[in-house]
Amino acid sequence: MAITHLKKLALGVAGAVALTLGAAQGAMAEDWAPEGPVNMILHTKPGGGVDVYSRTLAKELEPIIGQSIVVVNAPGGGGATQMAKIRASEPDGLTLGVNTVTHLTGMQTNLRGTFSPDDFEWIALSQIDPILFFVSKESELNSITDMVELAKSNGGEVNIAGFGPVGSMQNIGMSMLEKAAGVKFNWVAHQSTPDIIAAVLGGHMDVGVSNLGPALEFFEAGRLKGLGVLGDDRLSTLPDMQTFGEQGYDVDTSWLQIRGVFGPKGMPLDLQQQIADAIHKAMASDSYQTYARAAGVQDSDYGPEEYSAFIKQMSTVAEEQLKAAGIIN
Amino acid sequence: MLESLAIGFSAFGDPMVWFALVFGALAGYLIGAIPGLGPSLGVALLIPFTYGVDPVVSIVGLVALYAAAEYGGAITAILINSPGTAAAVATSWDGYPLTQQGRTGEALTVSILSSGAGIFMATLLLIVTAVPLSEFALRFGPGEYFALALVGLSLVAGLSEGSPLKGTVAMGIGLALATIGLDVQTGTPRFTMGNPEFFEGLPLVPVLLGLYALSEVLFMIEDGPSEKLKSTPIGGLLALPVKSILGLKTAILRSSVLGYAIGVIPGAGASIASFVSYAVSKRMSKTPETFGKGSLEGVASSEAANNSAVAGALAPLLALGIPGSPTTAIMIGALMVQGIQPGPLLFTKSPEIPYTVFVSLWVGVPVMVLIGLAGARIWAKVANIPRPAIAAIVAGICYVGAYASHTTMFPVHVMTVFGVLGYILRKLEIPLAPIILALVLGEMMETNFRRALISNKGEWDIFYTSPMTMILITIAVLAFVLPGLSQLRARRAKAQAL
Repeated sequence: MAITHLKKLALGVAGAVALTLGAAQGAMAEDWAPEGPVNMILHTKPGGGVDVYSRTLAKELEPIIGQSIVVVNAPGGGGATQMAKIRASEPDGLTLGVNTVTHLTGMQTNLRGTFSPDDFEWIALSQIDPILFFVSKESELNSITDMVELAKSNGGEVNIAGFGPVGSMQNIGMSMLEKAAGVKFNWVAHQSTPDIIAAVLGGHMDVGVSNLGPALEFFEAGRLKGLGVLGDDRLSTLPDMQTFGEQGYDVDTSWLQIRGVFGPKGMPLDLQQQIADAIHKAMASDSYQTYARAAGVQDSDYGPEEYSAFIKQMSTVAEEQLKAAGIIN
Repeated sequence: MLESLAIGFSAFGDPMVWFALVFGALAGYLIGAIPGLGPSLGVALLIPFTYGVDPVVSIVGLVALYAAAEYGGAITAILINSPGTAAAVATSWDGYPLTQQGRTGEALTVSILSSGAGIFMATLLLIVTAVPLSEFALRFGPGEYFALALVGLSLVAGLSEGSPLKGTVAMGIGLALATIGLDVQTGTPRFTMGNPEFFEGLPLVPVLLGLYALSEVLFMIEDGPSEKLKSTPIGGLLALPVKSILGLKTAILRSSVLGYAIGVIPGAGASIASFVSYAVSKRMSKTPETFGKGSLEGVASSEAANNSAVAGALAPLLALGIPGSPTTAIMIGALMVQGIQPGPLLFTKSPEIPYTVFVSLWVGVPVMVLIGLAGARIWAKVANIPRPAIAAIVAGICYVGAYASHTTMFPVHVMTVFGVLGYILRKLEIPLAPIILALVLGEMMETNFRRALISNKGEWDIFYTSPMTMILITIAVLAFVLPGLSQLRARRAKAQAL
């Protein structure tokens, strides 16, 4: 534990230095100095993960830009309420939104034709959060391979509890694994991560899917066992859990939960870069780092160019997967 | 557990928590004392004020309001024979006769002290039962949850005031409304009329504000200014001999335990708790003939029970995520607004929430007793606030609250539609409580029903191979069928008698 903490700290410091250097470079160009208060619009209610992220970030961002940031909760319509507000705003940097993968899957499914990634500018990626598959500590399964073997031996009867309906971010992650392993699992949709963990702990579901944060203390208490993480690297907090790739399943590791900042179409690239620099500078602060490590998420320093490319890649993956699953045509 | 209780106590190091407690208690007394406004409406009106507030602070305020509103109803019941809440009806049976005998002060003191004692003991019961219940609840799979939600729903339909038929109609309306939104398993839009605003289902808070609060406003407008009620001078407050309080301890203890147990049962609530405890106390009393004519024992039984039922109703809410009463169904909405998921993992993941609730119930007792005794004269006058003023304030909170929930006009429209709908339904004497519970429990029922089938290869045996599911489904069916049968029998007996 102590070692992981030290490692985290070292990473954090390294990141902070890199970010400060980046910010220093940016300073030569020009710092983001909005003329009035900035509205940061969210697609969720107060209190959830996105809300906590936005408010923590906003607090650190305010002294950097010398303006106040108003966090506006605009839940509803699977992000439609928020996206409508942002699409209708001026591209002056005074209206920004926070997005997750839900925005991208939504644009391919229920909101197809209503919103598309081209309606917006994707300014900065700030957090990445890989999904992981886990079981209760009493389970006989110990790896993704065990889970695949079980599905092979009894015809797909492995119940996987995950967040959201068929076509959700986590469900697509499962479909990608199905394709790589040549098996079928049984997706059981849940509406909250605590529900998923409770169902797995109680033995009602075979396997659960989640991001690290909400499940962390159950891993630390030894009540959950990790099967595998969908990412390039193992998680520093759970170093024993192998990645999908290590276990021989070739699954696109860019399929991550993300939190980033986006804005209305037509925002000048210079301004986008300034906003991204300010965000990454705010992320280097102590209080943000403390929050992010406790939430179990990883930092990203993608600016507008990298983030736009990343969004394009994720949208393509989502579309392919949803087509393959027969959800859209 | 002591460690967790310490977390609960430490929350009270924050002055904001104290502020929430006092504010909630004051607002609760105010709302409870105004006939027509009850705890459900009070909690719904308070939710918009909690949006940007720390979860612990807001839950303390909500619980304080809930408990105080259940008590506030007693004041007007005793003073002017106009119970502020349904749960205070039994209090008025003895409380008002006491006032007529010039013993108002005694009646108020007994009612406040019994309420305090009821909450204190019920909280003790809550702590010793809710925590094991939450560990036990991990054994509840989708089949069990489906059956449990079904029990809650059937009890509501059966126990609702008025005819069981109208209760069933109300439940049907709530269940139908629960189907609106994206299908939880497949993501297919249902009854959304192509409008993405409906994807996440009907927004709960605006629906509650409309059904409970705005419909009440419409009634107030219809009734016009009310006649001024004559309030009597209060004498003998706190002038109660210690001996007669001690004489009531058996009644208070019994009613607290009974009230708690009834509160735990989904669908039964504070009103049923107070009626049952009153009846039991009358039967076991040495002086049953005084009941209804100004018995302190009657006041104590009703008040201890309706307040301990508050703590009882919190047990299934916190441990299982299943609301047991309309007010707790509204509290689920308030918790979810804060990103808190009530259920078995709440005690592990966010122990500060349940334990702060426990501690706040205790800390709230002296605060409530003090506010109640000191302000008795003021609360009695509250019933005389001009109706138009109350209507204007409540309508204002409804509209601002609905807008603030999404910062768009959509919830405002939803609230208005449900306000009118609530008005029409109440005119037809269709109870609102089953609608709210069906709206919340309906989603729980559907998702768990489908999870059960999907995880069991589509085989139905999951609903009868688990003994717990079997028992719960049997209870649900009985609770649903029996009230209808007894009514049928009564009608037949009547026909024979003719």
